Amino acid sequence: MTTFIARGLLQLPVVLLALSLLIFGMMQFLTPEQRAATYVRTEQQAKNIDLIIRQYNLDKGFWAQYTTWLNQVLHGNLGYSKQSHEPVLTTIRKRLPVWTELAIFMFFPTLAFGIWMGTLAATHRDKLIDQFVRVFAIAGWSLPTFVLGIWLLAVLYGYFHCCGIGRADDKYLIEFAKGTLKTYTGMITIDGLLNGRPNVTFSGLKHLVMPVLTYMVVASAQIMRVLRSSMLDVLNSDYVRTARAKGLPERVVNLKHARHNAIIPIVTIAGLMFTFMLEGVFFIEIIFNIPGLGQWAVPAAIQLDFPAVIGIALLTGVIVSIANLVVDILYGIIDPRISFQ
Amino acid sequence: MLKILALGLVGSLAFAATGPDTYVQMTFGEVDTLDPAQAYDTASGAILENIYETLYTYKGESITEYEPVLATDYSISDDGKTYTFKLRRDVLFHSGNRMTCRDVEYSIERLLVTNPGDSAGWFYAESLIGYDGVNAKDYFGDNPSQEDLDKYWQAIDNSVECIDDYTVAFHLVKKDPSFFVKLMYTASSILDSKYAIENGEWSGTKADWYDWAGKDLRNGFLHNHDAGTGAYKLVKWDGKDVYAERFIGYWDYANKPQMKNIIIKVVDEQATRIQALKAGDADRITVNDRATLETQIRGMPNAKILESDKWFGAAASAVFFNQKIVAEDNPLIGSGQLDGNGIPADFFTDINVRKAFAYSFSQDAIIQDVYLGKAVPLTMALPPSFLGYDPNIPIYDLDMDKAEEYFKKAYDGKLWETGFTMTIAYNTGNTTRQTVAEILKQNIEALNPKFKINVKAMPWPQFLDAYKKGQLPTLVLGWGAGYADPDNFIYVFYHSNGYFAKKIGYSNPEMDKLIEEARSITDPAKRAELYSKVGYLAHDDVPVLPLPRPTGWMVLAKNVYTKMAPEGMDVYNNPMRSGSFLWKDIIKK
Repeated sequence: MTTFIARGLLQLPVVLLALSLLIFGMMQFLTPEQRAATYVRTEQQAKNIDLIIRQYNLDKGFWAQYTTWLNQVLHGNLGYSKQSHEPVLTTIRKRLPVWTELAIFMFFPTLAFGIWMGTLAATHRDKLIDQFVRVFAIAGWSLPTFVLGIWLLAVLYGYFHCCGIGRADDKYLIEFAKGTLKTYTGMITIDGLLNGRPNVTFSGLKHLVMPVLTYMVVASAQIMRVLRSSMLDVLNSDYVRTARAKGLPERVVNLKHARHNAIIPIVTIAGLMFTFMLEGVFFIEIIFNIPGLGQWAVPAAIQLDFPAVIGIALLTGVIVSIANLVVDILYGIIDPRISFQ
Repeated sequence: MLKILALGLVGSLAFAATGPDTYVQMTFGEVDTLDPAQAYDTASGAILENIYETLYTYKGESITEYEPVLATDYSISDDGKTYTFKLRRDVLFHSGNRMTCRDVEYSIERLLVTNPGDSAGWFYAESLIGYDGVNAKDYFGDNPSQEDLDKYWQAIDNSVECIDDYTVAFHLVKKDPSFFVKLMYTASSILDSKYAIENGEWSGTKADWYDWAGKDLRNGFLHNHDAGTGAYKLVKWDGKDVYAERFIGYWDYANKPQMKNIIIKVVDEQATRIQALKAGDADRITVNDRATLETQIRGMPNAKILESDKWFGAAASAVFFNQKIVAEDNPLIGSGQLDGNGIPADFFTDINVRKAFAYSFSQDAIIQDVYLGKAVPLTMALPPSFLGYDPNIPIYDLDMDKAEEYFKKAYDGKLWETGFTMTIAYNTGNTTRQTVAEILKQNIEALNPKFKINVKAMPWPQFLDAYKKGQLPTLVLGWGAGYADPDNFIYVFYHSNGYFAKKIGYSNPEMDKLIEEARSITDPAKRAELYSKVGYLAHDDVPVLPLPRPTGWMVLAKNVYTKMAPEGMDVYNNPMRSGSFLWKDIIKK
């Protein structure tokens, strides 16, 4: 297994290099003026666009631009993001923990909820609960994130004044800004505990309610449906009948024998779901004003903020590669028939 | 996990509200930089005007009355080329350093030394050193001679002079009636020179000045640190939200600000801002359009909409007729010939075409469609609150008969015979540009079946590219004032060397003469008369069609007021302030 992991990690630099070349290549289809667009927001600034092009070397050839960039990257400098008004690396360092916190709090409850509902539906096939889960799954899956998000925002927050937007209450954010609360990890829920202030953690959790709820309703649908059908397959197989014939209790048969095997497709979907969260949570980040990666990445791409785009692409490459690796390892753990060779 | 979440839901039903000494504003559009010498946008200006101060500033909501801030008095020499300011004593910077003339000299010279292409430095350089307002690196190119550089530095060094610790003199290269108001723009904020130099900014001497010429200051220390004297000091700017707190060492202690903490939050989604206002988490929010204002804000119990038909904003925009369209690789002008399938590159040089377009357009339609009736038509490309604006100049209105008459006259009748095809582009999301294009299309196509106008949406980078290359046949452009002087608009829109006029190839020697004369005198009455003449001439010549100015509004929590609010209003709104009012004037009742 160690060789397997090592091989997976060794692929990473190759993937990243290929990614950067691809994006650099695509940027060459743009004119220097279009590449300069990221620096120009108003007509007053457009006045000096020629100076801007020269200042940022936007008119040099492909290899000149690429090698300058690569050289910078090897020295730990990913360039300056016009969108975030600071170096790309600083932005990633700041936004990655925010995204990670959000992603973790969205991912596991959604997964658990989906598996739970999927199991219920399969074991109660064609009963009322199954009908409900099926309708819920279709409704949730077809509901756009932003519609549900705005609706929750208007009802829970606007009408009931509950939960809150952003990451925590303003009084705690002021404390973080002033430094009376220390930032250790960048994740509010954890930093609250590390500062010995559970009320900060609580505030952080409170502000996660609406985003998590939104994501759960929309994203758990897929898990429910896949688990339900794969579980139904397994429930009809011989070994399950044998287990039942042995006189094992229904609960043990369903949860231990049947679900254990039915869960493999879920691992695949969960892996995809996690990596897709990088861009997929954009609407959630926008609606609930959470400064995660999507909120930076999407406008940066629209504005052709080149250093940001390539930085995000590389980060995505890393996360996707690692998630794939984790998924592969999980396959092996869940199903011993899958070997690591 | 579900249990924890459920607990969170129940535990937070209490009504949320910002504290009595905390002010939370939610807006969109991030601060670009907090270095005064680099910032040239309103989001940055709205922070800078509170943490930094200038020598003089606008009084309340006036743009013609001024009050001293870091200076106490000033005088202008008889030839109009030397401005001398007496500086205020006992002013402390946020670092605790005391302000002297050295800081003023450093701040203004730093502006002239760095003057990056995308900053406001050019209009100071034009007054103080000349050199077309361009920094040394870009002015001299790659291999400058030492002699040229020495001369350039000498010009900078001579432009600001410390007579003693509390007296500073500015020496202008030529008379400039707008120099005084230029000094009120945030770019000329006074920096703590000692603190800046200690932290690696320009040393203030000749030794390293050329290294700083044209430099992008967003990589520097002052990009996200504050070296000001303002009533508020920066706590943190994380690239997005800004946190500031009241400065206890502020010189104007008698007018102690009420708000202790200020948070300016970037919340890109308008629905989110509105719900935050409703929930009591915001004291002021930005609402983009009037339709939302009427349907979603009006009637909200804890919010108020403030508006006035005097709030125009210090900006003007117009429809431009490009008289020298670049024909190369340009699909917007079709065949590039007068053959019915396109337009020639010099299509708009025929004044009859411009007049025909002018009579096919109506500012009222824009006022109704875009601003729901809350806007005023402009007679010339100048905000109505500015010196020299003449409300009596006639305005072109929709007149299909006249439009037909001028189209028939154009190109000796040939245009009417053959017809034309052109494309008007706008950047996606810009409703004003889109509506202008659609109005022209609708009216002009109705005149003659051979007239064809396509309307095309482009993403901003592509639009900017076409604009930069000069490919757009007609376009809508707006200009925001850096300083409150009519020259800032008139020169840009109408002078053959002005940024916009040059871009669209408009040149009229008579016009240039009027504008240059108005530039060289200081008497406001005489200048106003000249600008009125400019307005009449522009009406006859139609280089551009002015667009209406929407009247402004503000959306605030019910309990927010400001000091110095005019009679009958809750707050003041100065068009030259990026944030309408200063944080130090906020009162919560």
